[in-house]
Amino acid sequence: MIKFLGAVLFLAALPVWAHHSFAAEFDVTKPVKLQGTVTKMEWINPHSWIHIDVKNPDGTVTNWMIEGGSPNSLLRRGFTKHSLEPGTEIVVEGYQAKDGAYRANGRDLTFPDGKKLFIGTNPDEKLSEK
Amino acid sequence: MVHRNRIILTVFAFLGAGACLAEAQSLAVVAKPAAKPAAKAATSEAAASPAPRTADGQPDLQGYWTNSTVTPLERPKDLGEKAFFTPQEAAEYAKKQLATAAPTGPGTYADVHYNMAQFGLEKNQSKVAASIRTSLVVDPPDGRIPPMTPEARSRNAERAAKSKGHEFDGPENRGLAERCIMWGNEGPPMMPAGYNSNLEIVQGPGYVAILQEMIHDARIIPTDGSPHLPSTVRQWLGDSRGHWEGDTLVVDTTNFTDKSAFRGSSENLHVVERFRRVNPDTILYQFTVDDPSTWTRSWSAEIPMTKIDGPVYEYACHEGNYGMANNLSGARADEKKAEQKQGAK
Repeated sequence: MIKFLGAVLFLAALPVWAHHSFAAEFDVTKPVKLQGTVTKMEWINPHSWIHIDVKNPDGTVTNWMIEGGSPNSLLRRGFTKHSLEPGTEIVVEGYQAKDGAYRANGRDLTFPDGKKLFIGTNPDEKLSEK
Repeated sequence: MVHRNRIILTVFAFLGAGACLAEAQSLAVVAKPAAKPAAKAATSEAAASPAPRTADGQPDLQGYWTNSTVTPLERPKDLGEKAFFTPQEAAEYAKKQLATAAPTGPGTYADVHYNMAQFGLEKNQSKVAASIRTSLVVDPPDGRIPPMTPEARSRNAERAAKSKGHEFDGPENRGLAERCIMWGNEGPPMMPAGYNSNLEIVQGPGYVAILQEMIHDARIIPTDGSPHLPSTVRQWLGDSRGHWEGDTLVVDTTNFTDKSAFRGSSENLHVVERFRRVNPDTILYQFTVDDPSTWTRSWSAEIPMTKIDGPVYEYACHEGNYGMANNLSGARADEKKAEQKQGAK
Protein backbone atom coordinates (compact mmCIF):
# COMPACT_ATOMS: atom_id res chain seq x y z
CA MET A 1 0.00 0.00 0.00
CA ILE A 2 1.21 3.46 -0.80
CA LYS A 3 2.42 5.32 2.24
CA PHE A 4 2.90 9.03 2.36
CA LEU A 5 6.59 8.84 3.20
CA GLY A 6 8.17 12.11 2.36
CA ALA A 7 4.98 13.35 0.87
CA VAL A 8 4.72 16.40 3.05
CA LEU A 9 6.30 18.75 0.59
CA PHE A 10 6.06 16.58 -2.44
CA LEU A 11 3.71 16.48 -5.31
CA ALA A 12 3.24 13.45 -7.44
CA ALA A 13 3.44 14.50 -11.04
CA LEU A 14 1.25 11.93 -12.71
CA PRO A 15 -2.16 10.94 -11.94
CA VAL A 16 -3.36 11.45 -8.47
CA TRP A 17 -5.97 8.73 -8.56
CA ALA A 18 -7.67 9.57 -5.38
CA HIS A 19 -7.67 12.58 -3.22
CA HIS A 20 -6.26 10.79 -0.22
CA SER A 21 -5.14 7.43 1.02
CA PHE A 22 -8.26 5.30 1.42
CA ALA A 23 -6.45 2.81 3.59
CA ALA A 24 -5.74 5.61 6.08
CA GLU A 25 -9.43 6.34 6.43
CA PHE A 26 -11.17 2.99 6.04
CA ASP A 27 -10.56 -0.36 7.67
CA VAL A 28 -9.79 -3.25 5.35
CA THR A 29 -10.93 -5.66 8.09
CA LYS A 30 -14.40 -4.09 8.34
CA PRO A 31 -16.25 -4.76 5.10
CA VAL A 32 -19.88 -3.62 5.19
CA LYS A 33 -22.93 -4.25 3.06
CA LEU A 34 -25.69 -1.77 3.78
CA GLN A 35 -29.18 -1.35 2.41
CA GLY A 36 -30.86 1.94 3.21
CA THR A 37 -32.75 4.96 1.98
CA VAL A 38 -31.05 8.13 0.86
CA THR A 39 -31.52 11.06 3.24
CA LYS A 40 -29.11 13.46 1.54
CA MET A 41 -26.57 13.53 -1.29
CA GLU A 42 -23.75 16.03 -0.95
CA TRP A 43 -22.46 16.95 -4.41
CA ILE A 44 -19.14 18.24 -3.17
CA ASN A 45 -15.46 17.92 -4.00
CA PRO A 46 -13.08 16.33 -3.48
CA HIS A 47 -15.58 13.53 -2.76
CA SER A 48 -19.32 13.24 -2.98
CA TRP A 49 -21.06 11.95 0.16
CA ILE A 50 -24.29 9.99 0.20
CA HIS A 51 -26.17 9.82 3.50
CA ILE A 52 -28.43 6.82 4.03
CA ASP A 53 -30.69 5.61 6.82
CA VAL A 54 -30.03 1.95 7.52
CA LYS A 55 -32.44 -0.12 9.56
CA ASN A 56 -30.61 -2.32 12.05
CA PRO A 57 -31.78 -5.85 13.00
CA ASP A 58 -33.09 -4.49 16.34
CA GLY A 59 -35.33 -1.99 14.56
CA THR A 60 -33.23 1.09 15.28
CA VAL A 61 -32.02 3.28 12.44
CA THR A 62 -28.46 4.44 11.83
CA ASN A 63 -27.53 7.22 9.46
CA TRP A 64 -24.42 6.29 7.47
CA MET A 65 -22.19 8.54 5.32
CA ILE A 66 -20.86 6.98 2.14
CA GLU A 67 -17.83 8.42 0.37
CA GLY A 68 -17.88 8.54 -3.43
CA GLY A 69 -16.02 10.13 -6.32
CA SER A 70 -15.78 13.73 -7.54
CA PRO A 71 -19.20 14.95 -8.67
CA ASN A 72 -17.72 16.86 -11.62
CA SER A 73 -17.59 13.75 -13.76
CA LEU A 74 -21.15 12.78 -12.82
CA LEU A 75 -22.37 16.23 -13.82
CA ARG A 76 -20.67 15.75 -17.21
CA ARG A 77 -22.64 12.54 -17.65
CA GLY A 78 -25.91 14.30 -17.05
CA PHE A 79 -26.49 13.44 -13.41
CA THR A 80 -27.86 16.33 -11.38
CA LYS A 81 -28.60 16.85 -7.72
CA HIS A 82 -32.08 15.56 -8.48
CA SER A 83 -30.75 12.24 -9.75
CA LEU A 84 -30.57 10.75 -6.29
CA GLU A 85 -33.52 12.04 -4.33
CA PRO A 86 -34.10 11.39 -0.62
CA GLY A 87 -36.12 8.23 -0.16
CA THR A 88 -34.34 6.30 -2.88
CA GLU A 89 -33.37 2.84 -1.69
CA ILE A 90 -29.78 1.80 -2.41
CA VAL A 91 -27.29 -0.91 -1.51
CA VAL A 92 -23.72 -0.04 -0.58
CA GLU A 93 -20.74 -2.34 -0.37
CA GLY A 94 -17.58 -0.90 1.11
CA TYR A 95 -15.43 -0.67 4.20
CA GLN A 96 -16.19 1.09 7.45
CA ALA A 97 -14.11 3.99 8.81
CA LYS A 98 -11.19 3.05 11.05
CA ASP A 99 -12.39 5.27 13.86
CA GLY A 100 -15.60 3.25 14.11
CA ALA A 101 -17.86 6.07 12.92
CA TYR A 102 -20.81 5.23 10.67
CA ARG A 103 -18.90 6.11 7.55
CA ALA A 104 -17.88 3.85 4.70
CA ASN A 105 -16.42 4.10 1.23
CA GLY A 106 -18.88 3.45 -1.59
CA ARG A 107 -17.00 0.57 -3.18
CA ASP A 108 -20.07 -0.55 -5.13
CA LEU A 109 -23.35 1.29 -5.25
CA THR A 110 -26.42 -0.44 -6.62
CA PHE A 111 -30.18 -0.30 -6.50
CA PRO A 112 -31.85 -3.24 -4.72
CA ASP A 113 -32.45 -4.89 -8.12
CA GLY A 114 -28.72 -4.97 -8.71
CA LYS A 115 -28.58 -2.15 -11.25
CA LYS A 116 -25.63 0.15 -10.79
CA LEU A 117 -26.42 3.47 -9.16
CA PHE A 118 -24.34 5.61 -11.47
CA ILE A 119 -23.36 4.34 -14.83
CA GLY A 120 -20.40 5.79 -16.61
CA THR A 121 -20.09 5.63 -20.35
CA ASN A 122 -19.50 2.24 -21.86
CA PRO A 123 -15.94 2.54 -23.16
CA ASP A 124 -16.68 0.49 -26.25
CA GLU A 125 -19.54 2.75 -27.24
CA LYS A 126 -17.34 5.71 -26.62
CA LEU A 127 -14.72 4.40 -28.98
CA SER A 128 -17.08 4.11 -31.90
CA GLU A 129 -18.90 7.30 -31.06
CA LYS A 130 -15.93 9.63 -31.29
CA MET B 1 -3.78 5.35 -45.27
CA VAL B 2 -4.41 7.84 -48.01
CA HIS B 3 -6.32 9.84 -45.50
CA ARG B 4 -3.51 9.70 -43.00
CA ASN B 5 -0.92 10.80 -45.51
CA ARG B 6 -3.04 13.75 -46.46
CA ILE B 7 -3.14 14.79 -42.84
CA ILE B 8 0.61 14.52 -42.49
CA LEU B 9 1.00 16.74 -45.53
CA THR B 10 -1.48 19.31 -44.41
CA VAL B 11 -0.10 19.37 -40.90
CA PHE B 12 3.24 20.10 -42.52
CA ALA B 13 1.77 22.88 -44.59
CA PHE B 14 0.21 24.32 -41.49
CA LEU B 15 3.29 24.09 -39.35
CA GLY B 16 5.40 25.71 -42.00
CA ALA B 17 9.10 25.40 -42.55
CA GLY B 18 9.99 24.92 -38.92
CA ALA B 19 7.99 21.74 -38.51
CA CYS B 20 9.78 18.52 -37.81
CA LEU B 21 8.76 15.13 -39.08
CA ALA B 22 8.44 13.79 -35.57
CA GLU B 23 5.84 16.35 -34.70
CA ALA B 24 3.79 15.70 -37.81
CA GLN B 25 3.93 11.98 -37.13
CA SER B 26 2.82 12.32 -33.56
CA LEU B 27 -0.11 14.49 -34.51
CA ALA B 28 -1.19 12.51 -37.52
CA VAL B 29 -2.64 9.81 -35.37
CA VAL B 30 -5.44 12.03 -34.18
CA ALA B 31 -7.23 10.73 -37.25
CA LYS B 32 -7.12 7.15 -35.98
CA PRO B 33 -10.41 6.41 -34.29
CA ALA B 34 -9.03 3.29 -32.67
CA ALA B 35 -6.55 5.35 -30.68
CA LYS B 36 -9.68 7.17 -29.66
CA PRO B 37 -11.00 10.34 -29.58
CA ALA B 38 -9.80 13.52 -30.40
CA ALA B 39 -10.10 13.49 -33.84
CA LYS B 40 -13.26 14.37 -35.31
CA ALA B 41 -12.21 17.77 -36.59
CA ALA B 42 -8.74 16.81 -37.74
CA THR B 43 -9.80 16.99 -41.35
CA SER B 44 -7.30 18.15 -43.89
CA GLU B 45 -9.42 21.17 -44.73
CA ALA B 46 -9.49 22.30 -41.14
CA ALA B 47 -5.80 21.75 -40.61
CA ALA B 48 -4.97 23.81 -43.65
CA SER B 49 -6.79 26.91 -42.48
CA PRO B 50 -4.72 29.65 -40.82
CA ALA B 51 -4.53 29.84 -37.04
CA PRO B 52 -7.67 31.50 -35.74
CA ARG B 53 -7.29 34.97 -34.23
CA THR B 54 -8.90 36.79 -31.35
CA ALA B 55 -10.68 40.10 -32.00
CA ASP B 56 -7.47 41.95 -31.17
CA GLY B 57 -5.35 39.81 -33.46
CA GLN B 58 -3.70 37.32 -31.07
CA PRO B 59 -3.49 33.66 -32.08
CA ASP B 60 -6.61 32.23 -30.48
CA LEU B 61 -6.01 29.51 -27.86
CA GLN B 62 -9.31 30.09 -26.10
CA GLY B 63 -11.74 27.40 -25.16
CA TYR B 64 -11.99 24.18 -23.18
CA TRP B 65 -9.26 21.56 -23.50
CA THR B 66 -8.23 18.27 -21.98
CA ASN B 67 -4.66 17.09 -21.57
CA SER B 68 -5.72 13.56 -20.66
CA THR B 69 -3.36 11.09 -22.26
CA VAL B 70 -2.48 7.41 -22.33
CA THR B 71 1.17 8.21 -23.05
CA PRO B 72 3.43 7.63 -20.05
CA LEU B 73 5.61 10.50 -18.87
CA GLU B 74 8.73 8.37 -19.22
CA ARG B 75 9.35 5.77 -21.90
CA PRO B 76 9.52 2.16 -20.73
CA LYS B 77 13.22 1.26 -20.68
CA ASP B 78 12.81 -1.68 -23.03
CA LEU B 79 11.75 0.67 -25.84
CA GLY B 80 15.17 2.36 -25.80
CA GLU B 81 15.23 5.24 -28.26
CA LYS B 82 12.03 4.21 -30.05
CA ALA B 83 10.17 7.52 -29.80
CA PHE B 84 7.10 6.49 -31.82
CA PHE B 85 4.78 3.54 -32.03
CA THR B 86 3.46 2.52 -35.39
CA PRO B 87 -0.19 3.58 -35.65
CA GLN B 88 -1.18 -0.05 -35.05
CA GLU B 89 1.04 -0.36 -31.98
CA ALA B 90 -0.31 2.95 -30.71
CA ALA B 91 -3.90 1.76 -31.11
CA GLU B 92 -3.14 -1.47 -29.24
CA TYR B 93 -1.33 0.39 -26.50
CA ALA B 94 -4.19 2.89 -26.12
CA LYS B 95 -6.72 0.09 -25.94
CA LYS B 96 -4.78 -1.55 -23.14
CA GLN B 97 -4.42 1.71 -21.23
CA LEU B 98 -8.09 2.56 -21.61
CA ALA B 99 -9.34 -0.83 -20.49
CA THR B 100 -11.60 -0.86 -17.45
CA ALA B 101 -9.65 -1.67 -14.30
CA ALA B 102 -9.62 -5.30 -13.24
CA PRO B 103 -11.82 -6.13 -10.25
CA THR B 104 -10.05 -6.14 -6.91
CA GLY B 105 -10.21 -8.92 -4.34
CA PRO B 106 -12.47 -8.43 -1.31
CA GLY B 107 -10.58 -7.74 1.91
CA THR B 108 -7.46 -6.45 0.14
CA TYR B 109 -6.09 -2.94 0.43
CA ALA B 110 -6.60 -2.46 -3.30
CA ASP B 111 -10.32 -3.00 -2.74
CA VAL B 112 -10.70 -0.18 -0.21
CA HIS B 113 -11.83 2.43 -2.65
CA TYR B 114 -14.86 3.69 -4.44
CA ASN B 115 -15.70 2.37 -7.86
CA MET B 116 -13.93 4.66 -10.31
CA ALA B 117 -15.92 3.34 -13.23
CA GLN B 118 -19.26 4.12 -11.56
CA PHE B 119 -18.25 7.67 -10.86
CA GLY B 120 -17.05 8.18 -14.42
CA LEU B 121 -13.48 8.71 -13.30
CA GLU B 122 -11.72 6.15 -15.44
CA LYS B 123 -9.72 7.56 -18.28
CA ASN B 124 -11.80 5.70 -20.84
CA GLN B 125 -14.83 7.77 -19.91
CA SER B 126 -13.51 11.07 -21.12
CA LYS B 127 -11.85 12.30 -24.26
CA VAL B 128 -8.20 11.37 -24.51
CA ALA B 129 -5.74 13.23 -26.69
CA ALA B 130 -4.19 10.75 -29.08
CA SER B 131 -0.52 10.43 -29.87
CA ILE B 132 1.82 7.79 -31.24
CA ARG B 133 4.62 8.91 -28.98
CA THR B 134 5.97 6.30 -26.59
CA SER B 135 6.62 8.90 -23.87
CA LEU B 136 5.68 12.46 -23.06
CA VAL B 137 9.38 13.18 -22.51
CA VAL B 138 10.90 14.01 -25.89
CA ASP B 139 14.35 15.05 -24.70
CA PRO B 140 16.67 13.36 -23.64
CA PRO B 141 16.33 10.97 -26.61
CA ASP B 142 15.73 7.97 -24.32
CA GLY B 143 12.45 9.60 -23.26
CA ARG B 144 13.39 9.49 -19.60
CA ILE B 145 13.91 12.19 -17.00
CA PRO B 146 17.64 12.72 -16.46
CA PRO B 147 19.22 11.52 -13.22
CA MET B 148 19.04 13.70 -10.14
CA THR B 149 22.12 15.50 -8.90
CA PRO B 150 23.68 14.24 -5.64
CA GLU B 151 22.53 17.53 -4.05
CA ALA B 152 18.90 16.84 -4.98
CA ARG B 153 19.09 13.24 -3.81
CA SER B 154 20.33 14.22 -0.38
CA ARG B 155 17.84 17.12 -0.17
CA ASN B 156 14.93 14.81 -0.93
CA ALA B 157 16.23 12.07 1.38
CA GLU B 158 16.43 14.63 4.18
CA ARG B 159 12.85 15.71 3.57
CA ALA B 160 11.67 12.13 3.57
CA ALA B 161 13.56 11.33 6.77
CA LYS B 162 12.13 14.39 8.47
CA SER B 163 8.55 13.46 7.73
CA LYS B 164 8.93 9.75 8.45
CA GLY B 165 6.81 8.71 11.40
CA HIS B 166 5.06 12.07 11.45
CA GLU B 167 2.88 11.69 8.38
CA PHE B 168 -0.35 11.93 10.34
CA ASP B 169 0.68 14.23 13.19
CA GLY B 170 -1.62 16.99 11.99
CA PRO B 171 -3.04 18.58 8.86
CA GLU B 172 0.23 20.35 8.03
CA ASN B 173 1.95 16.98 7.76
CA ARG B 174 -0.34 15.82 4.99
CA GLY B 175 0.43 16.25 1.30
CA LEU B 176 -0.53 19.37 -0.58
CA ALA B 177 -3.27 17.57 -2.51
CA GLU B 178 -4.89 16.17 0.59
CA ARG B 179 -4.81 19.65 2.07
CA CYS B 180 -6.48 21.00 -1.08
CA ILE B 181 -3.64 23.47 -1.56
CA MET B 182 -2.62 22.25 -5.01
CA TRP B 183 -2.43 19.03 -6.98
CA GLY B 184 0.60 17.57 -8.68
CA ASN B 185 -0.83 18.27 -12.11
CA GLU B 186 -0.98 22.03 -11.73
CA GLY B 187 2.65 22.86 -12.38
CA PRO B 188 3.74 24.59 -14.36
CA PRO B 189 4.49 22.42 -16.24
CA MET B 190 0.83 21.41 -16.45
CA MET B 191 0.27 17.66 -16.42
CA PRO B 192 -2.81 15.48 -16.75
CA ALA B 193 -4.58 15.16 -13.41
CA GLY B 194 -5.75 11.56 -13.86
CA TYR B 195 -9.40 12.59 -13.92
CA ASN B 196 -11.13 15.92 -14.55
CA SER B 197 -8.02 16.72 -16.62
CA ASN B 198 -9.69 19.76 -18.08
CA LEU B 199 -8.65 23.34 -18.54
CA GLU B 200 -10.01 26.57 -19.91
CA ILE B 201 -7.98 29.25 -21.66
CA VAL B 202 -9.19 32.85 -21.86
CA GLN B 203 -7.33 35.72 -23.51
CA GLY B 204 -7.58 39.48 -23.16
CA PRO B 205 -5.34 42.34 -24.22
CA GLY B 206 -2.00 41.74 -22.51
CA TYR B 207 -3.07 38.60 -20.66
CA VAL B 208 -3.68 34.90 -21.06
CA ALA B 209 -5.51 33.11 -18.24
CA ILE B 210 -5.53 29.35 -17.75
CA LEU B 211 -7.97 27.71 -15.36
CA GLN B 212 -7.27 24.08 -14.49
CA GLU B 213 -10.24 22.15 -13.13
CA MET B 214 -7.92 20.26 -10.79
CA ILE B 215 -7.96 21.75 -8.42
CA HIS B 216 -8.86 25.40 -8.56
CA ASP B 217 -6.08 27.72 -9.59
CA ALA B 218 -6.22 30.20 -12.43
CA ARG B 219 -2.86 31.15 -13.90
CA ILE B 220 -2.93 34.80 -14.94
CA ILE B 221 -0.10 35.24 -17.41
CA PRO B 222 0.85 38.78 -18.49
CA THR B 223 1.96 39.02 -22.13
CA ASP B 224 2.74 42.74 -21.95
CA GLY B 225 6.52 42.43 -21.70
CA SER B 226 6.58 43.08 -17.96
CA PRO B 227 9.47 41.50 -16.03
CA HIS B 228 9.29 38.67 -13.47
CA LEU B 229 8.51 39.53 -9.87
CA PRO B 230 11.52 40.30 -7.63
CA SER B 231 13.28 37.06 -6.71
CA THR B 232 12.27 37.52 -3.07
CA VAL B 233 8.63 36.85 -4.00
CA ARG B 234 7.98 33.10 -4.26
CA GLN B 235 4.65 31.58 -5.28
CA TRP B 236 3.04 28.14 -5.33
CA LEU B 237 2.71 28.27 -9.12
CA GLY B 238 5.76 30.44 -9.63
CA ASP B 239 5.59 33.68 -11.62
CA SER B 240 4.66 33.25 -15.27
CA ARG B 241 5.33 35.79 -18.03
CA GLY B 242 4.31 35.18 -21.62
CA HIS B 243 5.12 36.46 -25.09
CA TRP B 244 4.17 35.48 -28.63
CA GLU B 245 6.64 33.98 -31.09
CA GLY B 246 4.63 33.92 -34.28
CA ASP B 247 1.58 31.78 -33.49
CA THR B 248 3.20 30.25 -30.41
CA LEU B 249 2.58 31.45 -26.87
CA VAL B 250 5.81 31.12 -24.91
CA VAL B 251 5.53 31.26 -21.11
CA ASP B 252 8.53 31.59 -18.83
CA THR B 253 8.06 30.69 -15.17
CA THR B 254 10.41 31.27 -12.22
CA ASN B 255 9.98 32.33 -8.55
CA PHE B 256 8.77 28.92 -7.32
CA THR B 257 8.73 28.03 -3.65
CA ASP B 258 10.53 24.99 -2.27
CA LYS B 259 7.17 23.74 -1.01
CA SER B 260 5.70 22.87 -4.39
CA ALA B 261 8.53 20.67 -5.59
CA PHE B 262 7.88 19.34 -9.08
CA ARG B 263 9.26 15.81 -9.09
CA GLY B 264 11.72 16.74 -6.35
CA SER B 265 12.78 20.07 -7.87
CA SER B 266 14.02 23.05 -5.85
CA GLU B 267 12.79 26.64 -5.80
CA ASN B 268 15.27 27.30 -8.62
CA LEU B 269 13.03 25.45 -11.07
CA HIS B 270 12.73 27.24 -14.42
CA VAL B 271 9.95 26.21 -16.78
CA VAL B 272 9.42 27.32 -20.38
CA GLU B 273 6.10 26.31 -21.93
CA ARG B 274 5.03 26.61 -25.55
CA PHE B 275 1.39 26.53 -26.71
CA ARG B 276 0.58 26.28 -30.40
CA ARG B 277 -2.79 25.61 -31.95
CA VAL B 278 -1.77 23.13 -34.62
CA ASN B 279 -5.34 22.53 -35.79
CA PRO B 280 -8.73 23.77 -34.64
CA ASP B 281 -9.10 20.89 -32.17
CA THR B 282 -5.55 20.58 -30.89
CA ILE B 283 -3.05 22.68 -28.97
CA LEU B 284 0.42 21.20 -28.92
CA TYR B 285 1.74 21.92 -25.43
CA GLN B 286 5.48 21.62 -25.01
CA PHE B 287 7.63 22.39 -22.02
CA THR B 288 11.24 22.42 -20.94
CA VAL B 289 12.20 22.24 -17.27
CA ASP B 290 15.57 23.17 -15.95
CA ASP B 291 16.92 23.12 -12.42
CA PRO B 292 20.67 22.54 -12.13
CA SER B 293 20.28 21.87 -8.43
CA THR B 294 17.93 18.97 -9.22
CA TRP B 295 18.70 17.33 -12.59
CA THR B 296 21.97 16.72 -14.38
CA ARG B 297 20.50 18.40 -17.47
CA SER B 298 17.30 20.10 -18.65
CA TRP B 299 14.51 17.97 -20.12
CA SER B 300 11.51 18.51 -22.35
CA ALA B 301 8.13 16.94 -22.92
CA GLU B 302 5.05 17.50 -25.03
CA ILE B 303 1.36 16.77 -24.51
CA PRO B 304 -1.35 17.33 -27.11
CA MET B 305 -4.41 19.09 -25.70
CA THR B 306 -7.73 18.21 -27.27
CA LYS B 307 -10.77 20.43 -27.52
CA ILE B 308 -13.69 19.40 -25.32
CA ASP B 309 -17.16 20.71 -24.62
CA GLY B 310 -17.28 23.03 -21.63
CA PRO B 311 -17.77 24.03 -19.02
CA VAL B 312 -14.95 23.43 -16.60
CA TYR B 313 -16.70 22.91 -13.27
CA GLU B 314 -15.63 24.49 -10.03
CA TYR B 315 -13.75 22.03 -7.85
CA ALA B 316 -13.87 23.91 -4.51
CA CYS B 317 -11.73 21.27 -2.84
CA HIS B 318 -11.63 22.93 0.57
CA GLU B 319 -15.35 23.18 0.99
CA GLY B 320 -16.03 19.48 1.32
CA ASN B 321 -12.65 18.20 2.43
CA TYR B 322 -14.01 15.81 5.08
CA GLY B 323 -11.21 13.45 4.08
CA MET B 324 -8.61 15.45 6.01
CA ALA B 325 -10.36 15.08 9.38
CA ASN B 326 -11.31 11.49 8.57
CA ASN B 327 -7.73 10.51 7.75
CA LEU B 328 -6.38 12.03 10.94
CA SER B 329 -9.17 10.41 12.91
CA GLY B 330 -8.25 7.08 11.29
CA ALA B 331 -4.63 7.59 12.34
CA ARG B 332 -5.69 8.30 15.94
CA ALA B 333 -7.76 5.11 15.91
CA ASP B 334 -4.74 3.17 14.64
CA GLU B 335 -2.57 4.62 17.41
CA LYS B 336 -5.10 3.71 20.06
CA LYS B 337 -5.30 0.19 18.73
CA ALA B 338 -1.50 -0.09 18.81
CA GLU B 339 -1.41 1.20 22.39
CA GLN B 340 -4.02 -1.32 23.50
CA LYS B 341 -2.08 -4.09 21.84
CA GLN B 342 1.04 -2.91 23.63
CA GLY B 343 -0.82 -2.76 26.96
CA ALA B 344 -2.19 -6.26 26.54
CA LYS B 345 1.31 -7.73 26.25
